[in-house]
Amino acid sequence: MPQITITARSGEKLVVDAEVNQTLMEVIRDSSIGEMDAICGGCCSCATCHIYVDPSFISKLPPVSEDEDILLDGSNHRKLEVSRLSCQIRISDALDGFALEIAPED
Amino acid sequence: MTNFETADFFTDTSLIENPFPYFEYLRSQGPIARLPHRNVLAVTGYAEAIEILNDPQTFSSANAATGPIPDLPFEPEGDDITEQLNAHRDEMIATGLVVAKDGKEHANHRSLMMNLFTPTRLKANEEYMWDLTSTLLDKFVDQGHCDLIADYATPFATLVIADLLGIPENDRITFCEKLGPPPGAVGGEVDYMDSQVLGMSFLFEYFGQYLAERRETPKGDILSQFAQAKFPDGSTPSVDDLVWISAFLFGAGQDTTARLLGASLRVFCENPELQIRVRNDRSLIPAFIDEVVRYEGPVKCASRLAVKTTTVAGVNIKAGTTIALLYGACNRDPREFEAPTEIRLNRPNARKHLGFGRGVHTCAGMPLAKAEVTASLNRILDRMMDIKLSEKHHGKPGDQHFSYEPIYTLRALKNLYLEFTPVR
Repeated sequence: MPQITITARSGEKLVVDAEVNQTLMEVIRDSSIGEMDAICGGCCSCATCHIYVDPSFISKLPPVSEDEDILLDGSNHRKLEVSRLSCQIRISDALDGFALEIAPED
Repeated sequence: MTNFETADFFTDTSLIENPFPYFEYLRSQGPIARLPHRNVLAVTGYAEAIEILNDPQTFSSANAATGPIPDLPFEPEGDDITEQLNAHRDEMIATGLVVAKDGKEHANHRSLMMNLFTPTRLKANEEYMWDLTSTLLDKFVDQGHCDLIADYATPFATLVIADLLGIPENDRITFCEKLGPPPGAVGGEVDYMDSQVLGMSFLFEYFGQYLAERRETPKGDILSQFAQAKFPDGSTPSVDDLVWISAFLFGAGQDTTARLLGASLRVFCENPELQIRVRNDRSLIPAFIDEVVRYEGPVKCASRLAVKTTTVAGVNIKAGTTIALLYGACNRDPREFEAPTEIRLNRPNARKHLGFGRGVHTCAGMPLAKAEVTASLNRILDRMMDIKLSEKHHGKPGDQHFSYEPIYTLRALKNLYLEFTPVR
């Protein structure tokens, strides 16, 4: 199972085993860090699963879709390059060792 | 006057028109309160509901659509009934619906719906929605009065989901006529064992045929997307799996949205200043919709089944207990929402209500519902001035009455008679 390191808003770090084909949002939501609302449930329609990704993994992630881009633009905390919606990233073995930080709440 | 201490929420029709005093009674018993019947714990606390929704390993959705009626087909034994439930799941009602699935199977089925209602996908259907609002309003606006539910909300929501799914126009009327009652009849005589899938059985035949056709020849609609869809691991779903999801989308996609429209107009009529404010500033509509969902959301009660003995908020929950998540009450929890009975368009946490659920089963149709209600409210405000409740049907201010469907799962206005000045 790929291992993912999640950094909570408090700075607390947690390493979790992620199942292949889950979305990253599901991995974070199901972890003991209870701060991911993901209020649309993963259909790319809100921005409450916003994360900052480890820059070294960007090339292994799917490109940002138009919908995701619009939603990220609506966030006051978007950081170009590293901002993503975690519901749009599926876990694969290539993401073993991936690290992310949960973005501040809008 | 109903005796709240002994009331049976699942059969008592006196709790239908206005369940909120009962919800406040339950809240006074604590955020999780034991009901006197059917081995149910009722949740009125917002934080407690979220804790339960975020723990699907402990709280199964097997009874999500039906709650505690009918009884479980087995006698729960011990502190972990996961295996017992798995062995008897097929004997329960409607467990083929995606809302009633758990774990990996649920994740697989849900993934098929996840890209259906993205903003881009909805844009493609927006033109149809806007045209439809005008077509339906044209039929009655000049009269200066209507029953919003029958004249507008129900046909609108049904035709939108039918168009989105790609149901042929000739079949749409048949669908509207045949669609059975939603689950959770209070004191009703719905024979669940006969209908098996909550009045939706006829849909299976139609959807089976549509999907088989589209596996052969895709048409660019949602059913074609479905027919070609794969599970996240790359495997191909069976036509049966797809039929269940399509039938569910059709069934779930229209009634709740129609009732949300009804609730929105009731709130407008009861708050004339708010009606004027939103009429003059349409950018407030999204915030208004979230407040209506919070304050008068269509889903009144969703259920879970505790499959492991556990504790939430200090309350011991024995495996086998039905958890009734009273969203209508959680969304008025004063610990989460200040002045919960006021409609406030500037709540900092406005979108955090539980009207669309939370966690793995969060409503996948939320963006569609919001798009439908946004288009409708805009057009209704364009075409109707000074919208008021009909005194003839609902009574005079201060003594008004409303008919709601006698169901414990949904808060569903049967009709909403309005009077207004037509705008030509």
